[in-house]
Amino acid sequence: MIRGGRSYVLSPPAFSNDAKRLLVCTSNSVTIFSTATGLPVASLDGHAALVTAVIVVPASTPASKIICYCWTASLDGIIRYWDFSVPELIKIINVNLPIISMVIPTLLSQTAETNEKSPKTFAYLSVENTKEPEKESSKALRGQIKKFNLTNSRMAGGMTLTETKQPEIITVSSSGKYFGIRFKRKLQIWKVPTAETERAMVKKITLHHTKNMNVLAFHPTQRIVAAGDVTGRILIWRGFGDRTFADGDGLVNGKLMNNEEERPGVRGDDDADSCTTWHWHSAEVNVLFFSSDGAYLYSGGKEGVLVVWQLDTGRKKFLPRIGSPLLWLTDSPDPSLSSISCADNQIHLLKMPSMEILKSISGIKLPCSFPEMCNGLQSGIAFDCNAGLVALRTENYCIQLYSLFDDRGVSEVVICERNHQPGDEVTVVVTLAVLSLDGSMMSTAEVKLPEEGLGGLVCLKFWALGSQNKEFSLSTIIYEPHRDAGISAIAFHPTRPMAVSSSNGGDFKVWVCNNGIQQMDQPLSNSGWTCHAVGSYKKKPMTAATFSSDGSVLAVAAETVITLWDADKNILVAVIGETLMPVVNLSFVGTSEYLVSASRGSKPQLSIWSMSKLCVSWSYMLHVEVLGYTVTTASTKPTSVVFNDAAMLKCNAYFLELTLQFYSLHKSLKLQCPNLSNLISASAISYSIASAADMSSFAALALLPESSKCNEISLKGRDGVILLFNASDPVPIFTWSVNKAKGGALAFIQANQSSIDENELDGKPPQSLLAYINGDHEYLLFDPQGKEAKEHSAIRQEGLGDLEEAGKFGYASIYGELPQFDPKRKQASWVPSAPLERAWETVFSGSSHNLPPLTKLCSVFLESLLEKRTANVD
Amino acid sequence: MIRNWSMVSMNIRDLLTSFSPSLDYLAISSGDGRIKIWDTIKGQVQTEFADITSSEGNLYAKPERGHLSVDYKCMKWLSLDKKKKRKLGSSLLVLGTGSGDVLALDVSAGQLKWSVSDCHPGGVSAVSFSALDLCIYTSGADGMICKTDPQTGNSLGKFRASTKAISCMSVSSDGKILATAAAQLKIFNCSDHKKLQKFSGHPGAVRSMVFTDDGKYVLSSAVGERYVALWKIDGGKRQSASCVLAMEHPAVFIDCRCFENEGVDDGGLYVLAISETGVCYTWCGKKVEELRNSKPTKVLLSYEEFPKKHKGALPSVLAAKLQGTAKPTAANVFIAYGLPVKPLFQKILVHPGTDVKLNSSQDGVLLPLSQSLGNSKKGRDVQNRVTALDRSNVEDALLPIPKVYDLHEKMRNRNLIDHDEVMEESVENKDVMVEVDAVTTGMEKQLRQLNILANKDDGKLSPTLDSATLKGIDLEANIPQKKMRAAVLSMEPSNAYKLLEVLVAMWQSRSYSGKCVLPWIYCILINHGQYIVAQEKPESQMLNSLLKITKSRAVAVQPLLQLAGRFQLVTAQIDKVALSKNPISLHNDQMDDNEDDDDDDDVDEHHYGEEDDGSQTAQWLHYSDENLLLWEEAQLVICTLMFKESPNGVFTICLNFQVDPKWTFHITICLNFQVDYKKLFPSEYSSLLHREASFGAGLYRFGSAHPEFFGACPELIFNLFRE
Repeated sequence: MIRGGRSYVLSPPAFSNDAKRLLVCTSNSVTIFSTATGLPVASLDGHAALVTAVIVVPASTPASKIICYCWTASLDGIIRYWDFSVPELIKIINVNLPIISMVIPTLLSQTAETNEKSPKTFAYLSVENTKEPEKESSKALRGQIKKFNLTNSRMAGGMTLTETKQPEIITVSSSGKYFGIRFKRKLQIWKVPTAETERAMVKKITLHHTKNMNVLAFHPTQRIVAAGDVTGRILIWRGFGDRTFADGDGLVNGKLMNNEEERPGVRGDDDADSCTTWHWHSAEVNVLFFSSDGAYLYSGGKEGVLVVWQLDTGRKKFLPRIGSPLLWLTDSPDPSLSSISCADNQIHLLKMPSMEILKSISGIKLPCSFPEMCNGLQSGIAFDCNAGLVALRTENYCIQLYSLFDDRGVSEVVICERNHQPGDEVTVVVTLAVLSLDGSMMSTAEVKLPEEGLGGLVCLKFWALGSQNKEFSLSTIIYEPHRDAGISAIAFHPTRPMAVSSSNGGDFKVWVCNNGIQQMDQPLSNSGWTCHAVGSYKKKPMTAATFSSDGSVLAVAAETVITLWDADKNILVAVIGETLMPVVNLSFVGTSEYLVSASRGSKPQLSIWSMSKLCVSWSYMLHVEVLGYTVTTASTKPTSVVFNDAAMLKCNAYFLELTLQFYSLHKSLKLQCPNLSNLISASAISYSIASAADMSSFAALALLPESSKCNEISLKGRDGVILLFNASDPVPIFTWSVNKAKGGALAFIQANQSSIDENELDGKPPQSLLAYINGDHEYLLFDPQGKEAKEHSAIRQEGLGDLEEAGKFGYASIYGELPQFDPKRKQASWVPSAPLERAWETVFSGSSHNLPPLTKLCSVFLESLLEKRTANVD
Repeated sequence: MIRNWSMVSMNIRDLLTSFSPSLDYLAISSGDGRIKIWDTIKGQVQTEFADITSSEGNLYAKPERGHLSVDYKCMKWLSLDKKKKRKLGSSLLVLGTGSGDVLALDVSAGQLKWSVSDCHPGGVSAVSFSALDLCIYTSGADGMICKTDPQTGNSLGKFRASTKAISCMSVSSDGKILATAAAQLKIFNCSDHKKLQKFSGHPGAVRSMVFTDDGKYVLSSAVGERYVALWKIDGGKRQSASCVLAMEHPAVFIDCRCFENEGVDDGGLYVLAISETGVCYTWCGKKVEELRNSKPTKVLLSYEEFPKKHKGALPSVLAAKLQGTAKPTAANVFIAYGLPVKPLFQKILVHPGTDVKLNSSQDGVLLPLSQSLGNSKKGRDVQNRVTALDRSNVEDALLPIPKVYDLHEKMRNRNLIDHDEVMEESVENKDVMVEVDAVTTGMEKQLRQLNILANKDDGKLSPTLDSATLKGIDLEANIPQKKMRAAVLSMEPSNAYKLLEVLVAMWQSRSYSGKCVLPWIYCILINHGQYIVAQEKPESQMLNSLLKITKSRAVAVQPLLQLAGRFQLVTAQIDKVALSKNPISLHNDQMDDNEDDDDDDDVDEHHYGEEDDGSQTAQWLHYSDENLLLWEEAQLVICTLMFKESPNGVFTICLNFQVDPKWTFHITICLNFQVDYKKLFPSEYSSLLHREASFGAGLYRFGSAHPEFFGACPELIFNLFRE
């Protein structure tokens, strides 16, 4: 199993004491990078949820700089103490509440002489109060700041410092004397007691502003606090807390002030001397940081420009063109080195006074928000199954090619030639990116958003891969390929340079590459794509398209029906369908005769169509109401459908076929929860292209409905299920529940030689790996037929046990434990699939116009089938 | 083209290269004391190590560029894990210097992990790793083998393997044995350092030596020798090489890999070598004998794009690694090629016998000023010309109009689309169509059984017969009935009988259409009826066969009804849209071929009884639009026929329209025919039908009909439509 694609920028990183290592929170672990090379060196694994804080224990003496201890806190409610040079876990402290942020001021203020006493260490945690019910009322205060005794591993008694609506991030001063949070328009600052004991009171002041603030920073030596707000202003309060914190503190520089004196810029009764405002940033300020000597203030925000302010004069210096909004700035014990984390999942190591980027640690591009209107239904994630690459859209109009096996970016292709400035309004959206099967061709679709309803433009582009430089070069650009209509899907022919693009405007076009066969070692010369054929079906919007694995059949979904074409001759071969909602995803299952379609919307549905029978083979869909029959498709051969009623119970999903629904009505125990609407909405379908004999399997990623999410605690935030099916069998082979499934994608990746070496779990190298990339672009590569597959019954009951540390939960966890059933009995309970004695046409005698409506016919039909079954049993 | 080989060989001989264990990085040292780490995935330099030894010391000091270069002699990237896991920090780049130091670099951390100075006085010659006890073996000019702990750099022991300088050394993959090359090639046991076997070896210094995966052979190549030698390790006394693989230039690097060889104990061998000229050779053999006789497959670079007068180094294969065998004989080779300043990385599949030629790029080449950059850029532009299409991209589309899959076309083109398995299958299995298929063949068979179709080829009557027997009657000509009657009456009864026979045969064989023949038959029957009845002999059975034909033709109502249905649809459509075009005529030709696609299998279909006229009309109208659309676009309306003769002499024909394969609408049009054999004649019927049909949508109800009518009707209706 290979994991990767983790975000490096969700939490601030930390430098080691010798500044040669950078500890980066990467989802459930902390990865240690070398600052010299930017390569990962080690990782601290153990947390079961997102790591939110990493704090390196500072070296009190120069000699102890090689000491490498750190504290980490995670959303799983556990604080761990590590020796990261080895790396090795030393201590686990359970807090039991999800920790959003942690600071340990005592570490910072500790001096050499206090060492012998080994005082107790106190941490201040920002935790999420899980006892407070979610959504119940907007007034619930879910965020708490607590004091925690790390030495004794317990909460300091009764020390909840404050409560906020949402958990906030704590900022601590580098001297360890103050820490504070910002929430909404307020800053709350606490002074850490000089003699830290369990009961020591922590004093607090509050500073106010008229705008919501994003970030705050403490001056390293003076009593100055800076805060950045959403409008781009930077506020600097000097001499905060003179009144409240004054007692016995050496820092007060004798300027004890009279309350009546004028305090410029300070609001109301706030405890500060003065407040000045700097305004350069046009958008929100996300980063504020005082240099270690306190002379400079660094600020950065959405523009992606790092600004250095001379604190005394307010003069500025800039590091522009970082290219992405800034998120964190961290300085190192080495004054000449600091790091800056950007929203595009890059950490730049800066050489400090000159602000020169020394190295960059870059990860997978994070999902970016596109305007809702052109978000479409596609996740925009394409896979190159042979090379193990994934193509992702980035914010700066690029496609990033990312190697799944190596967890490293390969290249970036600029799709639209235009400058991207973070914070700019998005005017062009790359809506689709598709890679051909051999990875040598790419097609992208982009939409130039209309400005005030004018000037919208759709572009289709074809790219060819140069054989050596691994770079895609543009080969053809087609403006408005389908008039004004948007492109709903692009699919490549599996063997030839042919592609199809389908549009919502009611037609699809088949494109061919001029030079036909391309030579492997020669760069494509003059390889223009031209339109080969145009097809339409009743002027219906074409919503999805795919080629069969041998390329002979082109399937295009015309909203609710699927049309099958001979792409060469542009001949409509057959029409199958139909579904309740427009099909958004189509895929042939490997080399088998099955076609999978998925539709979304209010009535999501996953259907498997048999190409030999030209009818639906089986299908999962919502169950709307307990007694409401949903008549959708009348298969011409209903008797050919096989289903397993045990699986019906388990999955609590209904087949379309009336027969099957009828049976499940009898058996289903789960009908007592009628509010389980929208059971499954298949959002992505992927299929196996593996040629192994039994590989007529495919996997579907299904989103779980909201209702089941909040009802079931055991889900733990998992909102999606990966279902692995054999196309001929409606019972999923495996199910895995995953989180952040929205916007995710699935693909079967050909396991290459080098990865086989590493993935050899049980001796037999896997044929193909299933790659799952979630909405946050974290991915997981695993062998779906791996050793777990061998314990059939166990898996069927509880899903794969160890796929994710927190425990896998199959359907059993969602819908509760099911009565045991042994496979033998299950076999016997297959509904007889023998055809009726009477011909199907004769079941209803009469012509259609004088037949009663189908809803009324249903019971007649079912009765006839029921008779049949009892006869069989006898 | 003359190539300056000396430049190239200089270049590559001095180059030290080593891939990281998972092949994602390549370390290159080009003899100037710098080590560049290339990211093989991105094709970029990841890090550069210069002057490693001086970077120790104070904590924050950045390593400064030293001016003293270190003379590296050997380099190997070792994976410290037994399994080749892509784990962090589990690999070491071990270097040996000419001064005898051994250095270990932690590449990912970017720092020196340890160094052993003066480990082999006189220079380190080779580094190897034992997976068995996880330690590093080094050999040197002092003839010693040193064992070092990879974690700390502490020495774990050393032993003397030779009195002379060791030029190369290698440890087998299981870590049990070790081979050294000095004057002789010796095999040692790693655990007790005992000599197991010795070979004559190479006279010169050995550059590269490698064990096969199974440890049964060791391969070596030496300076100045144009071959790779294969030595068998069996403890025997034999001192000579068991196999020699010839090359055109001396090898600088060898790699080998065993592959599965079904049935044979010894795995097959794949050997890879890079020559001094930067050509990668591969050999493949299932056995050593086969290997010996095998010809090398080369991977080389083409220099066509390269400036001819280029003075510097030419691109070459810099490093290669066998990644595994994909198929029995093809091997995956991960290859780094180009210039050392800018190598390119590619994974290629090498099939034995087919040389691979790689294109080199000019990246990293310092072009002389005379070669204008613009020139080459222009060339590139031509290569990467972008085609732009605008809104009118459809205009030159080959097939702008989609067609509907046609069964008859399919029948004709069956051979053409035979390869199209899926499609074929999908259509064949569409049961309705299959039914039609079956009917066509079945019908023919049936007709043969009924002796209606002659068993002999009932082809055309010979033209001579025609002219002789037809007595100058021009069947094609449109003769008025009176003239026809006159002509028939003028014949002698016997001649008329003969003519009748001929005409019946013609009608049967379809050499003339019923339209031409039938009036004559009719006329003859009327005028010479008596004679004919008298002439009719039991053996000739001419009248009998005529009756049979007419009866069989009578069943041929389906096309008629199809036509009627279409006509109906069209008129309905016309009424609605007030269009003047009549698209039906398009279908006529097709229908002509079709006239006998009878469907008498359906005869026993159920008859759902008489329907109320009004409701049927309504129903029909309701569906007509949609059906027409379907018919035109997708031809999804499948019309099946139900035909029944009720005892009271009423023929009822039911049309069953299937609108969609999956959704059957039983739209029944009942056509009732009161059978009366005597009353009416075809010509009158035609006008009747015409009138009825022109009423627009509605029920066909024919007052009464003679069976003759059915045979004649298709032609008559065609006539109607042609007008």
